[in-house]
Amino acid sequence: MTAQMDRASSIDIASLIQHDRIHGSLYTDPAIFDLEMTALFENAWVFVGHDSEIPEKGDYLTRRIGRQPVIVARGKDEVVRVLLNRCTHRANMLCRADSGNAALFRCPYHGWTYANDGRLQGVPFREGYDQEMAEMRSELGMAQAHQVEIYGGFIFANLYGNAGSFDDYIGRAKGPIDRLLSLSPEGRIELRGGWMKHRSAANWKIVNESQVDGYHPLFTHESVYKAIMPAKVDYASDELLVATRDLGGGHNEVDYSREYQAQDAEFIWFKRTPREKMAKYVAAMEAAVGADETHKRFVDGPPHTFIWPNLFLAEMHVIMVEPVAANESIQYTAPIHIAGGEEINARILRNAEGAMGPAGFLIADDGEMGERNQAGLAAKQPEWALLSRGFSSEVQEDKGLTSYDRTSETTQRAMWVHYKELMTEDQA
Amino acid sequence: MTNTHVPDDIAAFLYLEARYADESRYDDWESLWADDAIYWLPTKDDSDPSVDVSYIYDNRSRIHSRLAQLKTGRRYSQSPPSKMRRMLSNLEVLGEQGDDVNIGANFVLYEHRNGTHVWAGRYLYTVRRTADGLQLVKKTALLVNNEDAIRTVAFII
Repeated sequence: MTAQMDRASSIDIASLIQHDRIHGSLYTDPAIFDLEMTALFENAWVFVGHDSEIPEKGDYLTRRIGRQPVIVARGKDEVVRVLLNRCTHRANMLCRADSGNAALFRCPYHGWTYANDGRLQGVPFREGYDQEMAEMRSELGMAQAHQVEIYGGFIFANLYGNAGSFDDYIGRAKGPIDRLLSLSPEGRIELRGGWMKHRSAANWKIVNESQVDGYHPLFTHESVYKAIMPAKVDYASDELLVATRDLGGGHNEVDYSREYQAQDAEFIWFKRTPREKMAKYVAAMEAAVGADETHKRFVDGPPHTFIWPNLFLAEMHVIMVEPVAANESIQYTAPIHIAGGEEINARILRNAEGAMGPAGFLIADDGEMGERNQAGLAAKQPEWALLSRGFSSEVQEDKGLTSYDRTSETTQRAMWVHYKELMTEDQA
Repeated sequence: MTNTHVPDDIAAFLYLEARYADESRYDDWESLWADDAIYWLPTKDDSDPSVDVSYIYDNRSRIHSRLAQLKTGRRYSQSPPSKMRRMLSNLEVLGEQGDDVNIGANFVLYEHRNGTHVWAGRYLYTVRRTADGLQLVKKTALLVNNEDAIRTVAFII
């Protein structure tokens, strides 16, 4: 046992998370980071990709579950599998490309080959092995995630099979996924524009927390509202009907729909783009679901929902957060392609570049705040970060624990309540 | 043999553009651009901007917005601005269409902000000869590591 693991086993995680504050070491301690990779990624359900990224038989992409490299592959039987990216012979990484199409994965070291469903296919000079090897050969396929589930095209993996049922995991997060798909006349979205990849010197949880923070826009993004365009809603107003919500299971959201409904205006969430500029899309929606329902969907708009532990439905973009180390993470951002969306998709693509990613008018500054957050944590006093905002404003609703104070830290608390449960399961 | 020699006035124009970018001289840099401008930082070398997402794909109006944001002083990812120096080399004319000249160059950029960071790659420019002098029509930066995750790039690259 390494010294770090030894120390990790003695950390009392429960004592570091209180209902209104969390301890700074949760963002900085490498031993806690190691525990997280095991408890929150390897032994949990995590998002690994979207099925539109691998539409054809043999398509694959490479990702990580925690720090472990995996291949998300569509086999010739059409089944999507999540394979550990390692040769079962002497552990060479099998696949270095971001994505591609392959009938076989071939290890370049000694030439072992695997079918794209992970089965061991060929072993060169096999006469060099004895009978024992012949008997165990069927067990030498690539290791794979015990369970893979797809909902609305979003692929989730349960690597070691210890994460419980998918339905229990996804819980109320199905609603926001449905809300996103409801903006497509075909009920589907695709990710076909690739990903922006933004590296920052910040803990992955800091990145997650900022994505659903309803308190920061007026301050962090002041330069956008001042120089480029007004905010989509009036964040300074006391009358704003924007909710923050704990959906349970670590999932949470900032829900703008009531505010949009109060204004009864379409596409407030999409730079108030008029229908005329997206006439084919509007027509396709009305043909699919009728005029009234189309209006409702265009008013309500997309979700602004975080799905534990690494997926963020960022309105017209999908974000995936990859932990690298306690003080480093990568935020992946993909523009959404609405199936049957025609004109809207070109606009989503250009909006993604304007707002999101390492050069985006919004996210570059969120990245800066994340790095400043990490830098500030080097100061060890006070020991705690406060998350008490809006605590007494929360009400239990069918959708979850909700605050109609948009600046409430309900969303961050939602993550920490679930974090504490998962991280202390074995310590209880 | 193809003549790839870059005329002196165009080379001088590109060195000026590089210095304005290095020194975050936003108004001076903006004055170099033509109306049909494209300022592009793709996520891969063979990118198709009608399909693939880019890190930056600014038309003239968005270049203006980008600089207006920087000039508020509250663009926190560039407040204070990065201190930078970049080297251009291997300048070549790649082609011409009418008044527009396409130039390729290699670059290395040292950026100091929260540590010193190296950015390297290839610039592809389109420069236009006009009655009022040279204008920048297009600038593409192909980072050697554009397919990997990159740090915040809120400065002028």
